Parts: sequence; structure tokens; C-alpha cells
Amino acid sequence: MSTGTERSGVNLSRRTVVKAGAAAAVAAPALAACGPSAGGDGGGKTLIRFLYATGDATWNEVVAAVTEAFNAQSDNVVVEPEPLPAGTDYATALKTVDATGNWPALVDMRDTVTYMEAGKIAPIPESVTALLSDEVYAPSEDGSVYIVPSTALNGEIGFNIVYDKDYFEANGLTVPTTYAEFIALLDAIKANGDVPLAMAAAEIWPSDQIWKPLAAPTFAQFSEGGGFWNTVEAGEATIADLREPMERLKTITDNYALDGWQSTQDAQTSTLLVNGQAVMATSSAGLGRLNDIAKVDPDYNAGLFVIPADDGTINVLKNSVNGDTASGIAISKQAEEDGAQYEAAVEFLEYYYSVEACNLMEATGVVSPNIKNAAEVKRNDSIPGAADYFGLLENPKLAWYENEPTNPNHSTFQTFFRQSRIEMMDDQITIDELIEKSQSEFEKNMAEG
Amino acid sequence: MTDQQVLVKALPAEPPPAALPAPGRRRRFDRQRVAMLLFIAPAAILYALMMIVPSLQSIQLSLTNWDGISPTFEYVGLRNYEDILTADRFWNAVRNTLVLGLGSALIVNLIALAVAMMLDKLHHAQGFFRTIVYLPALVSGFIAATIWKYVLNFNFGAVNATLKSLGLDAQTRDWLGDHDIVIGVLLFIICFTLGGNTTLIYLANLQSVPQELVEAARIDGASRAQVFRYVTWPMLAGAVTVNMTLMMIAGWTIFDQVMVLTLGGPGFVSETMAFFIYKVGFGEYRAGYGSAAAVVLFIVVMATTVIANRYMRSREIQA
Repeated sequence: MSTGTERSGVNLSRRTVVKAGAAAAVAAPALAACGPSAGGDGGGKTLIRFLYATGDATWNEVVAAVTEAFNAQSDNVVVEPEPLPAGTDYATALKTVDATGNWPALVDMRDTVTYMEAGKIAPIPESVTALLSDEVYAPSEDGSVYIVPSTALNGEIGFNIVYDKDYFEANGLTVPTTYAEFIALLDAIKANGDVPLAMAAAEIWPSDQIWKPLAAPTFAQFSEGGGFWNTVEAGEATIADLREPMERLKTITDNYALDGWQSTQDAQTSTLLVNGQAVMATSSAGLGRLNDIAKVDPDYNAGLFVIPADDGTINVLKNSVNGDTASGIAISKQAEEDGAQYEAAVEFLEYYYSVEACNLMEATGVVSPNIKNAAEVKRNDSIPGAADYFGLLENPKLAWYENEPTNPNHSTFQTFFRQSRIEMMDDQITIDELIEKSQSEFEKNMAEG
Repeated sequence: MTDQQVLVKALPAEPPPAALPAPGRRRRFDRQRVAMLLFIAPAAILYALMMIVPSLQSIQLSLTNWDGISPTFEYVGLRNYEDILTADRFWNAVRNTLVLGLGSALIVNLIALAVAMMLDKLHHAQGFFRTIVYLPALVSGFIAATIWKYVLNFNFGAVNATLKSLGLDAQTRDWLGDHDIVIGVLLFIICFTLGGNTTLIYLANLQSVPQELVEAARIDGASRAQVFRYVTWPMLAGAVTVNMTLMMIAGWTIFDQVMVLTLGGPGFVSETMAFFIYKVGFGEYRAGYGSAAAVVLFIVVMATTVIANRYMRSREIQA
């Protein structure tokens, strides 16, 4: 009796095992297929994803508006925006996307040369580049164009100081025309018992917003010789040449910045400004930041200016159009291999550079890319402070400089350099220690590049 | 036929030794084992492919200069290990990991044991309070850290706002940006989130302490403290080993809280080893270097866990 039960148990187990084995064999590939696919189908249309950095609210709205308008008019393609959270280091997030092997068709690209050399992005066809002004794209060494601009290429003119115009008027303050005047302005605001400047460093990259304008006069000196970083790599300059901007950065941080900058996020500076917790704030979004502020408080009278050099020159980094610092939209290699996804991405980019899409971008609050038909685009000057932004582009003191590092390991160094600068600003290390460790890391990174 | 053979043949047949199953039984045993292996196989294969193989591959990668993206790389010998072991940044991450790992293990275990003892004494609504204690453990570390990020925000957070409304402006801090306190703040948040499971394990063990031992000790005149010291505490030795081991392993691999709350900053001050590996491997395009750091982390976790476990096991034997 007992034996019989055991036997039947064994037989049952064997059957179960066979069934379970079969189920597992079926389930394993099925489970594997449950992951997000590279492509997809959007109701008979080709579904592609557009990965982008959620830098500010305005940019989010632009991407949403343009993709929505495109989807409404396209018979073949659906574009799905895929934002990466604002709190994330985008370069790290992009690398994580690569590690998953699940590239979207369209990518808001960073560290372009690194990904191009790794064969992760595909050439952009002439049908797209033909829509753009010739100076905003360039072929790489293999003759192909890998990146096209997502907005107007006005260099780093977006790295500026946003301020409360009403406060300035009420206190008889004016926009500084030299660096000395800028410091005098900070002193005047402080003397009023107010906090001059809100800064952000929580996501690490916003610390560039105050650093880059301060370092621009030094960088500009090396513009003709291939840019500062290439000169340092060649051994003809050192990071010690940045001592003066480092000292200025330290002075501003210690004496004029709103407390808590270490954990303040980029987007919070708009709120701090509107709340009156600071009279000025650093920004890297240009017109987008002004638009954000207008949305938070439509009555806020915002203006902006770029921190000038000692002699009053407004040094602004010229955009790189195909170097490692170039940013813009790229098509992934995975999309090219898929074929249909590549076609869909191209169709979207052709729409992206149409007058219709550019008008949509302008209306949403971003200066649209430089297209050949730019004259037909209606510029949005209704945002408070927009006149200041467009005025900067006409400013006779504006001087463009170039600083295009060629070593593919440069982005590795910049990540380290940013964090090290924050250490210095935060009194964890001295300027001498910052220079020493940065030079050492630079040499190590470049040697490996 | 020898005399010995005759003798053996004359003796009654002895049952086969238990260690040697009959052929039929062995076949059944083998079939069962095959069945078990078949059940395990899909998960084991997936686990090997997803965990074991990449882990072993990271040892190979740790000897290269791979950037994590390019299709090619070069072998650089032990250079990554040399760079790691001579980098202040790495040792800072090791120190933080030790502080957060050991600190959270000790603090969480102490608090969890105290809470479990209180719950054990409860005669009413124990289930309700048990649920309350366990609830924070149900929230993912990422979500909990995000909530803490809002609560501790320097400009708009509830903590500083409350302090200000109480007239304690001088006590407000940049909780996540002050390099002097940020590790302590992370430790507090980690302890707050991780206590639920530990408490339940202690509670289960407390409830399995034989009451006759406790009563015998009391009849012998032992005080409450003596009952805990000489009866309850030794009986909890197994639970302490499990809880400390689990907490230390969780502590060595702390990542979510750092990722959400500080991104390792300000500067590098709050980087842990797990975050350091992520940052250099993914953010700085140094997958080879990051892999070497991962191998070092593995060695640290194994060594400390084995040493701590050995100590705690010896205590169990004494108990």
C-alpha cells in the first residue's frame, strides 16, 4: 500500500517534471522577451523612443509639444519621449542605457566622440542636414555627420546670471560691464542685507554655471592655439593657469552665495529667485530659465547678463559641432541596424527642422535650431527678459572662443574636475590641493586616452 | 569452496547497510535527484548567466582599460588595482562604507532588539504594532530616500522649516550638503529604513525562548536583567548572527540612499564603495577601473563577513 503510494508519487513527479521542464523551456525565452524591445509597434506605425535630459521644465514642454505635433501629422511613425530625471548625471545615465544594450532611436547626445568611436551612433543623412544652416553641423573624420543641434547653437551664452530687475531699479543697481563692477554689485546687494546669489551643485553639473563664466577669460586666451585643454595636454599650459578663476570662484562662494548651495538643485534656483531668497541666480538654460521663472511667477521682472571679464569682454564658448563636447540629437546604431527605426528617426528629424516645429519650439520658450529657413520662424520675445538674451547676441563686447578637447578621455577628467572644484568651494581642500590633484588626474586620464 | 565461504553461506543473510541503498532504491533516489535538478535548472542557468558569469568576467575586465563602450580594450595588468589602492577617493569610500555598514549593523540591531523585546511584552494589539514597525521596510530604499530628500531640503524642507518656526534658526543645517554631518545623516536614514526585518527576526526568536527556562531562572531569584543576560541573550545568539550578517552585507553595498540624496557629494565626501564603482564605471567611462574596485569590494565583503560570522558562530557554540 505504502509502496504503491510512493510509486504513484514518483510517477506523478516524473510527469510533473516533464511538464515543468517544458513550461520552463517555454517560459525562459518568453521571460527574456518581456524586457523592453528596441523597436515596437504603435498601432501599425513604427514606434521609436527619444531619450532626452530633463534639464528644465521648458525643455520638457518643448519635447512634448514637438513629438505630439509630429505624431499627429505622421502616417508612419510614433515618437515616444523618454525623459531621464533631472536629478541624474545625464552622462552616467546615458552610459547605463548603453550597458543595457537597449538604445532608443533618437538620443539627446553627450560625449559624442566617445560614442561615435565606439560605433554606437549612426550617420545622419543629408536629407536632415540640408535643412540646417551650414555652420551648425560638421562631418567627423570619416565624412559622416553624427550629431545635429537640438536648439539654437548660441554657444554657452545660456551660462548667465538671472536677476530681479525690479530690485535693481529700486536700489539703483545696474548690470555690470566689468568683473570689478560685478563684485561691486554683489557687495551692494549684500550691504542691503540681502543674499546676492543663489547657486546649485546638488546634481554636480550645475556647478559649471558659475565656474565657466569665471574661467572664460582664461580659456579665451588659449582659443587660437587649439583651446585650453589641448594646450594643457601638449604641456604648454597647466591647470595652475586657472588659479585666478578658482580664487574668484572661492571668493564668490564664500561671500555672496546663498547657504545650502551644495544640496540645491538646478531647478530650485528659480524658486529661490522668485521667493526673494536671493536677488540673482546662476543658470545655464538661457531663455528656458526665463520662461521657467515666468511660469512660476508671471509678474516677476527677470533679466539676465553674462559675468564680464576684467576688460568688459563677454567671453562665450562657441559650440562644438562634432567634438566630444558637442551636444545635440543623434540616431543610434541600433536604430540603423533595425532599418525601419532609422527611417522613422530621420522622418522625425526632418520634421524637427521644419518651420512648423521651430515655431512650436519658440512658442514653448526655446530658441529653435538654426535652420536654413530661419527667416520664416517667428521669434518669441514675449518672455520677460527675452530682450536681454537676444541683446547679448548683438552685444559688441561679445567674443566667441573655442575650447575643443580632442582627447576622448576628456569627459572622464571633467567629471572628476567638477567634483574636485566643489570640494574646494566647500572648504574640503585648498586651491593648491585642487590644482595638484586635478593636474595629476588630468595627466593620468589623457595618457590613457 | 573455502571454509570461510561455507561459513558465510551458512550464516543468515544480514540486511544491507543503510548507507548502501538497494539498486531499485538508488534508481528512485537518482530519479528524484534528476527531478530536483530539472526544477532547479532554469533558475540556476539564468542565475549563472546573469550573476556568476558577469561576476567572473569582471575579474577579467579589472585587468583592462575598457571604457565600457568601445568594442576593444587592452590588458593593463594590475595597474587598475594600483591606482585604486593609492587613490584617496577610494579609501574615503572604504571608510564611508565601513562607517555606514558597521554603524547601521550595530545601531539597527540594538534598536531592533529593543523594539522586539517591547513587542514581545505586548499583550494587546501586538499585530498592529508589529505592522507599524515593519512598514518602513516595505518602502524601497530609493523611494524612502526621495522622501527624505524633500524632508531634509535646506531651503524648503520640513525639518528646517519646523526648526525655524520653533525659533531654532541656529539649529538649521544643510543636512545633505554639510560635509561634516552628511555621513551621519545617511546613517540615520539607512537605519530608519532597514529595521523592520531585523525586528521581526528577533521577535520570532524571543517568542521561541522556552518559558520554563525563564520561569526557572526567576524561581532561582534572577532579576530581569539577569534573566536577559543568562537566558534570553544566549538563546538569541543565532538571530544575532543572522541579523548582523545580513545588515553588514546590506551596509557594504549601500547605494540607493547615496544616489538619491547626495550623489556622493559634496565633492566626493559621501561616496561609498558601491557608489564609487557605479560612478567610475558608468559616469567616468572607466569600466576596467570600476571592475577592479568591484573585485576589491567583493574581497572586503567576503573577508569581513567571514570574520564576523566566525566570531558570532563561536559565541553561538558557547551559548
